[in-house]
Amino acid sequence: MRARALAIAISVVAVLLAALWFTHKGPVPRPLIAQARGHCVVNPSRMRRIHMMWLRQVRMRVVRYGVALRADRLTRCISCHVQKNAQGQAIPINAPGQFCSTCHVYAGVKVDCFACHAAVPEPAFAPGHFSGAHHIQAAFLWPRVLPRHFKASLSRAAP
Amino acid sequence: MTDPDSFVPQDSKAQAENEGGCDVGRRRLLAMAGGVAVLALAPGVTVWASTFRAKGAVDADPVRYGLLIDANHCQGGCDACVRACKQYNGLSGKTGPDNAQWIRKVTIQDPKTGFTRNFPVMCQHCAKPACVAVCPTGASFRRADGIVLVDKHRCIGCRYCLMACPYQARSFVAHKVDDQRPRAPRGKGTAEGCTLCVERVDRGKPPACVAACARRGHKAMLFGNLHDPQSAIAKRLAQYASTTIRADLGMEPGVHYRGI
Repeated sequence: MRARALAIAISVVAVLLAALWFTHKGPVPRPLIAQARGHCVVNPSRMRRIHMMWLRQVRMRVVRYGVALRADRLTRCISCHVQKNAQGQAIPINAPGQFCSTCHVYAGVKVDCFACHAAVPEPAFAPGHFSGAHHIQAAFLWPRVLPRHFKASLSRAAP
Repeated sequence: MTDPDSFVPQDSKAQAENEGGCDVGRRRLLAMAGGVAVLALAPGVTVWASTFRAKGAVDADPVRYGLLIDANHCQGGCDACVRACKQYNGLSGKTGPDNAQWIRKVTIQDPKTGFTRNFPVMCQHCAKPACVAVCPTGASFRRADGIVLVDKHRCIGCRYCLMACPYQARSFVAHKVDDQRPRAPRGKGTAEGCTLCVERVDRGKPPACVAACARRGHKAMLFGNLHDPQSAIAKRLAQYASTTIRADLGMEPGVHYRGI
């Protein structure tokens, strides 16, 4: 009796393994990220790891304290990373296969930035004339670059 | 502004506003309104008022942005400010209950005399905003420079602020938005209202409506720092009598009106 149960169990496992073997397609291919124009405001490999914290921090500073540096604009991220179609029109950056969605589909993480934010750059904006080094320094030191009246009222305005 | 019910912002045929406030200085008028409120509601008001005071005196802020709208210069039939707002912020321009409206032209008329006035009404950027007081998530907030905004990252779309605002300045985005302006993000499920074109203000430019009014040559709107005695708006406020809408509510709007 026990030998029969064992045989059944082994055959079931064998069938499952065989099914896996035949349906297996190999690892999911790594995402192909389109080349950006211009230089990123942070080293790209670092930006890949920190951009979610970066965006959270920056949006708080820009929206609530009104301290917006040039490097903070989501529009600037989009201007460098957006792709154009054959007609020269910008493709929304969250469209399938575009810069944001490529990685986020791979990682299985939803992006909800573009429920509110425009996914294409400003029409008049010319990309690529932006090198970020000094803006970055300012962004990391932001309490020091606050205008005086913001600094004075920060404790009161804090959410 | 003696009768609280005499002003209905969304109704273009609202009842006439009397001229009582025009002969009295703004500060004296506000002081009178405050005095009346304390006398009438002394037991309840004391706690409420001290809660606000604990956050710091707004009058001490070095920057407080505001508007002065001169109804004497505002032309009936002109909607340059409304169209500029629509164009700059990517609004639909429709006026149905589902459509966001940040600024609207209002006509008031005295039924006895037929005296008519036109002026725009938008978020009044109050010193003590009701929308901020009721917001359960802290999404509705007042910036250090006095601009009242919705932080849409925190807004859960409960619409308390729409109910609380006596100026009906807040709107709700009920449908998916696809054609946002890059500098004015807005999306389904969030409340929104006039931002005083905060992105332009941060760049040192006046709001789009003010610029449009000036381009049209009417110059009925003036933007500036109310707390800077040297600014054009503060000088004008010191020179002429002005009033705020529903000053009796004690929310101390940052938008002042002249000639209503």
